[in-house]
Amino acid sequence: MNHIVHSVHRELKKHLFDYLLLCTGGVIFLLFLRLFQGYRTYSFMIICLFVGFYVFWGQYHHTKIKQVRLAHIVEYILIGFTVLFLLLLFIQP
Amino acid sequence: MNLLVKKIHRFFIPHEDNSYHAQSLHTNMLSTYLFVAVMLVFVSKSVPSLSSVLGVATDISIQKLFILTNEIRTRQGLPQLQENAQLDEAARKKASHMLQKDYWSHFAPDGTSPWDFIKQSGYQYEFAGENLAKNFLFSSNVIDAWMNSTTHKENIIRKEYTQVGYAVVNGVLNGEETTLVVQMFGTPLSPSLSQEQKAQKPKVLGQTQTVPQIQKQQVVVNGKRLAYDINMIFIAFIVLALVLDFSVASKLNILHLRGKHIAHLLFLGFISLGILFILKQGAIL
Repeated sequence: MNHIVHSVHRELKKHLFDYLLLCTGGVIFLLFLRLFQGYRTYSFMIICLFVGFYVFWGQYHHTKIKQVRLAHIVEYILIGFTVLFLLLLFIQP
Repeated sequence: MNLLVKKIHRFFIPHEDNSYHAQSLHTNMLSTYLFVAVMLVFVSKSVPSLSSVLGVATDISIQKLFILTNEIRTRQGLPQLQENAQLDEAARKKASHMLQKDYWSHFAPDGTSPWDFIKQSGYQYEFAGENLAKNFLFSSNVIDAWMNSTTHKENIIRKEYTQVGYAVVNGVLNGEETTLVVQMFGTPLSPSLSQEQKAQKPKVLGQTQTVPQIQKQQVVVNGKRLAYDINMIFIAFIVLALVLDFSVASKLNILHLRGKHIAHLLFLGFISLGILFILKQGAIL
């Protein structure tokens, strides 16, 4: 357990700005979702934007640390879009 | 058995057999998850009989609303409400009227009141009330929202009411696919009351509004529950795979070979919170 905490701590410390940026995006996503509660079309658009932001964040982060590999970018796209399609089952506009 | 354990191990735990990267997170597996998700959406949209199971419809059922309302009344020491067909009819008419005239209110723009629908259905009442809700996914969320509102709660636990009617209708309201829920309360006019009393305008107690128009009234649809379960199972599965992979990789000191597990976990965390918001996204009036 200790090595996990240590690794997380090291990673967050090393890329604090990037993770803060991701968290800020996440908080804005939740705020907008709350703001447009009850509007399915807006909720759908907000989720799309957040998934897009997450994919771009991945690209930005890996470019910054000079680890841009196709596999990494594809990983972000696949996870992001899988979540997007599953959420579509909830809110089909 | 050994083979199965070995496969599960290879699926979740980074090992030299899987190039120190859990198979469950390999690109081909992630592509499979995406393919399954796309197929689920495609099937739910293209097969009409499944659309009510996997999408579009909500998990709101009249039966469940009725049970939950009576559970609350029982807890308050009040007599249970009886479902009344005429009040059901009035609720359906009200929901249809809101969709047709495109309004979200107890009173229609043309002045039609909730009790006009009750009278049209042939129900003679001494007391009447209405609760409305829209765009909730589960019956329990509708009842919770009503109970968190003083006026709606007053309707649910008003001792004068003896009967209730419901409508759950899907339709387009203000350009949005909407699920409307109408709950109509009533106390039938006592036969002992004089004609003059009958002629008087009936008393309409607190009103509330919450949900959308019903396409399939009185049909229990578990679609949203299934979609919710699929989402939560997928997120739990990916989180488990990421945590296991991250744990072993950090132990072996090969984290630099990984994608960003922490970023994925943060993303899934925000998405999970978003799902909770979506679950409670309905509105009441």
